[in-house]
Amino acid sequence: MSRFFHGDSSSESSSSDEEELYSEEEEEAEQEASSEEDSDDDDNDSDEDSSDDEDGVKKSGANRFMRDADSESEGSSDEERAKVVKSAKDKRFEEIEATIKAIENGQKINDWGSISTEFDKLNRQVVKLVQTGNTPKVYIRALVELEDFMNETLAKQKVSTKKMNATNARGLNAVKQRIKKNNKDFQKDIDAFRADGNAFMESDEEEAPAPKAKKSKSSSGATAVSMDDDEGFATVGKGGKTLQFTPESILKHLRTIMESRGKKNTDRTEQIKIMEKLYEVAATPYQKVRVLLTLISTRFDSTTGVQTFMSQEQWKAAESEFGTLLQVLEENRDLVVVEFAEEWEDDEKAPTPGTNEEPLKIPGSIVSYVERLDDELTRSLQHIDPHTAEYIDRLSDEGVLYNNIVRTLLYAEGLQKNAKLEIPQDSLNRVVMRRLEHVYFKPSAVVKILEENCWKAIPNTLDSAITARGDQSDATALVNVLCNYLFVHSEGIIRARAMLCQIYFLALHDNYYKARDMMLMSHLQETINAFDVHSQILFNRTLVQVGLCAFRAGLVYEAQTTLQEICGSGRQKELLAQGVMIQRYNQVSPEQERLERQRQLPFHMHINLELLECVYLTCSMLLEIPLLAQTGSSPDIKKRVISKTYRRMLEYHERQIFTGPPENTRDHVMQASKALAAGEWKKATSFIHSIKIWELMAKPDEIKTMLSEQIQEEGLRTYLFTYAPFYDTLSVNTLSSMFELSDRKVAAIVSKMISHEELAAALDQVNSSIIFRKGVELSRLQSLALTLSDKASGLIESNERTLETRTQGTANAFERQGGRGGRGGNRGGQRGGRGGGRGGGAQLPRQAGGTQFTGGALGAAVRG
Amino acid sequence: MAAEMENHDLLPKLMQNLDRHLIFPLLQFAADEEDASPDITKAKFELLKTTNMTDYVAQLYCEIEGAEEPPKEYATKRSEVLARLEKFEQDTEKITDLLSREDVVTSLRSDKVANLEFLKKEHDVTIEMVNVLYDFGNFQYSCGNYGAASELLYQFRVLSTDNDKVTAATWGKLASEILTTNWESAMEEVNKVKESIDTKLFNNPLAQLTHRTWLLHWSLFPFFNYEPARETVCELFFSAPFINTIQTACPWLLRYLVAAVVTNRSRSRNTGQHQKQLKDIIRIVKQENYEYNDPVTDFIKALYIDFDFEEAQKKLSEAEAVLRSDFFLNNSSDAFVEAARHLISESYCKIHQRIDIKDLSARLGLDQDEGEKWIVNLIRDTRLDAKIDYKEGTVIMNHPQNSVYQQVIERTKGGFFRTQVLSAAVAK
Repeated sequence: MSRFFHGDSSSESSSSDEEELYSEEEEEAEQEASSEEDSDDDDNDSDEDSSDDEDGVKKSGANRFMRDADSESEGSSDEERAKVVKSAKDKRFEEIEATIKAIENGQKINDWGSISTEFDKLNRQVVKLVQTGNTPKVYIRALVELEDFMNETLAKQKVSTKKMNATNARGLNAVKQRIKKNNKDFQKDIDAFRADGNAFMESDEEEAPAPKAKKSKSSSGATAVSMDDDEGFATVGKGGKTLQFTPESILKHLRTIMESRGKKNTDRTEQIKIMEKLYEVAATPYQKVRVLLTLISTRFDSTTGVQTFMSQEQWKAAESEFGTLLQVLEENRDLVVVEFAEEWEDDEKAPTPGTNEEPLKIPGSIVSYVERLDDELTRSLQHIDPHTAEYIDRLSDEGVLYNNIVRTLLYAEGLQKNAKLEIPQDSLNRVVMRRLEHVYFKPSAVVKILEENCWKAIPNTLDSAITARGDQSDATALVNVLCNYLFVHSEGIIRARAMLCQIYFLALHDNYYKARDMMLMSHLQETINAFDVHSQILFNRTLVQVGLCAFRAGLVYEAQTTLQEICGSGRQKELLAQGVMIQRYNQVSPEQERLERQRQLPFHMHINLELLECVYLTCSMLLEIPLLAQTGSSPDIKKRVISKTYRRMLEYHERQIFTGPPENTRDHVMQASKALAAGEWKKATSFIHSIKIWELMAKPDEIKTMLSEQIQEEGLRTYLFTYAPFYDTLSVNTLSSMFELSDRKVAAIVSKMISHEELAAALDQVNSSIIFRKGVELSRLQSLALTLSDKASGLIESNERTLETRTQGTANAFERQGGRGGRGGNRGGQRGGRGGGRGGGAQLPRQAGGTQFTGGALGAAVRG
Repeated sequence: MAAEMENHDLLPKLMQNLDRHLIFPLLQFAADEEDASPDITKAKFELLKTTNMTDYVAQLYCEIEGAEEPPKEYATKRSEVLARLEKFEQDTEKITDLLSREDVVTSLRSDKVANLEFLKKEHDVTIEMVNVLYDFGNFQYSCGNYGAASELLYQFRVLSTDNDKVTAATWGKLASEILTTNWESAMEEVNKVKESIDTKLFNNPLAQLTHRTWLLHWSLFPFFNYEPARETVCELFFSAPFINTIQTACPWLLRYLVAAVVTNRSRSRNTGQHQKQLKDIIRIVKQENYEYNDPVTDFIKALYIDFDFEEAQKKLSEAEAVLRSDFFLNNSSDAFVEAARHLISESYCKIHQRIDIKDLSARLGLDQDEGEKWIVNLIRDTRLDAKIDYKEGTVIMNHPQNSVYQQVIERTKGGFFRTQVLSAAVAK
């Protein structure tokens, strides 16, 4: 078997490449067939073909990722085959025979069209077998026969006057080209067959089992350096040389490995093996660093598939090597690894460290390695089922990773100090960001432990300028320091992310006002759409966390408005990257879906969606039920909806003919809403309290007390709204005993409602009672008159606006004077009602503030 | 109570944003309140140590140490100061002479560069001489000669083209005017500083913030000491950039703003504006409640946000005490209490239909007869639709309701006129 053959076949085996190649060829063939019926220019054709072929190979070589993915799939399929080797092989043989039969049939009726397609099929089938080294004899025979037949047909065609029909001609052309190319590869076998057909075929039976055995051996013992399997590869010399690893030859070995990087057929496991040995013999720190740098990157190279992740052993190995690398670098300050260093060309002798304090630069990037380690861990966590022990096991690696991040940070800081190196600030920022990303979503107690363990693992001699040793006691301070560092030294996305991380942390630790102020001052809600999807997801997470924080602080209104945009969308999962939505209308291509899957957060970072929904619905209930009661009694107030999602659920719930006892969170909230609307606040409270998920909050009892207070108040308001029309007077005492609130509180609530013109009533201080004004209820005619007048003024306004746009605002001087009076008047009447939900006019600006930062990254966040 | 009072003392916060010389009256006031405790004298000493008011500092030193004679260093320092003073006087003699001559002053124009050119040509005044004016002004200020300092800085400002120094001079002049209680010109300076902040620092938000904070603090002096300035300063405080500054940098100033708004009630002719200011201040107090609260802001919160009249009453008496011990507000504390009572009864009457006079009087902190008088006045002043039932001892409010017909009329009122204008505009 020739070397060339081997390389070629493997390229054909690469699944996606192959298809590309084929389709191209086919196109070419078609073109030719149609353009030039006269098929004399064989040479030309084949030339083109071969060049085309080369192109294909080149292309696949250039595209690293493509190749990686391919070799990956190749490897895995190989393994699979090893398991079921027998039956698969047999099946394949059968298939081939069937195809050959079909070709023969085609020959009989001279149908070149079908011959061409069958031949393509045959080639495809045979590829797998060829790859393993044994070409089926049947195939060779079929090739020979086909070629003969083809030549015959061609000869016949030349003499005959009658032309073939178009399909046939095209098929014939295609087969001709293909055979030309193909047969070159199998020339030896074909010659053998032509020489003695029978003998060749007989040998088939004997040989068949032999390669099988060989094959299984090589695939099972993939890690072993199997010499005979390597024969015919470009890297053939390797095996021989493995015996003579010497410190002198290390660099040479490395070079060959580096050169083979990105090429096909490189056996990475073997390279890793070699390098591990190289490291053992490495004498000088320079050599060690070089070996480790190459080794780690090779390890990373070995898993580049999109869907797969690095195995734990590989990761661990890479991690420990990374640790060693850092250690070597820490011990040898005259060696530095920097990104833009020049390659050392001389393999024979190691460069000597510069004499004049100039450290020796080695090209590489420590920061990228640690980032890659981090990414790989995240990727594996994405793929492992979070409810298994494996997940937890894997998660414990995070501590080690964090150590490495901090250590890299220290190293990068050290490099930074050396002004001569001119290290870009960017890399340091990246490490700080990574560190922050491992900290920001954790409670401070956890961070403390993490930090303590981390500093224990780091040698005593090292200390950080940014976060000094011993400062680790307080997580808040740590986050603060890291964020401030990034605020000062970075810009753009990293800065924004740092800000979001800090807000998230603050919100997680119940600093609502600080978090909110930072969120508003960052002005991120205006620009977040311009950021990448990951940052948008972080923004959404932060937003949700701020909302939850507001809820814990008892600020129902703020919580609701903050959560509105995420929770009201019904796409929480997507927006928070905690799960992929089932796509109903196939709006998302598989490519997008794959990207989305890649973005998913590992389970331990998730925000509990059920809790989120529960909080959102509860808040909506507390705001919506009084509003419903209020608008229900007076039709002239425009229907205002706070939460559409909640309304829809409520409607659905009300439509149900039979409502059983509540089962899930949603049922609980809905039934509580119903009770609250009917004025039964106690029932509502018990429904809300029986929701189990509150236990996940930090202080469930406090939350529950807060909620029952809110329910009492809102219950009172709802009651007043609902039943006011039926009373003339109402004693404050009665109300206070009904809702178990103090007289003073009841009076305050009622006063507030009166003052905001939500309730047409007045207090009688002498009897301490509420006197409802009569004649507030409008007759139908009256309310219709009001609506009419509203519409009329609306019409005038829209006319004015139309005119204004027509005249480009030049005519605006005329109308404002008259207009404002009229409009101001009718708005004034309603404002109390509208803003009243939470405290009247004074509330409105805050409302704007509250909604402001929700104006962010929604729809686009996920579609990206 | 005493401890609580301490908590409401804003002195430390105010001091950060005031000039040494401006802090002095505050300390003096605190000393008067607390019978000149040694702590305050010491504070005064520390405060003025770096200034050139050597005599006074020496005196303070004696007071602290109980010494008869101040140590020698003060004497030497004193002579040094005098020597420098003399030197400055010599240096600026020429230019001050020139500026006091009628013929020179009349030939000056508004163009600074031209003026300088003119003086250079006619009287060989150099730029250095102008700068000496600035230094001398600074020196005079440091010595406590505020009047002279103000004059010198004014002259400097007329001639100098150095923007930074002019800004500094404006600040210096403002301080001098404040300290000489020359309020009218102080207000002018306030406006000048405000303009310079808006125009010169527009690309440096942080500096703008700090400068605005200073200006807000400094303008407290004319705010509460000079009646005509009250309105303008109030507007200044409420203008968007400054209210933002208060909210971000110095929420404690809300106390003064609240006090001003409340006391403005009777004074302002424009009730609409007062209502608006009240609404704004309620909103801001509510927003900032988590960052700053004292009895004064709590009063607003209790009255307008929680509608808890008892609490409001309690806070009012606390607020009174706070106001009395505040340097800026002690003059207006009576007016504040009076106006606050009005506000309480106003909103109380709005909500209630029948009120027991006795109860209301108690709520306002008055006895029954006084209370009755008060209510009668209130009814007269605010034209409330209310009657006193003497036998029952109650006030009965009659809340006229907004009738539906009225509403319809309101809404359709301007319709015809607007349509006419519209058609006229279309016809054009």
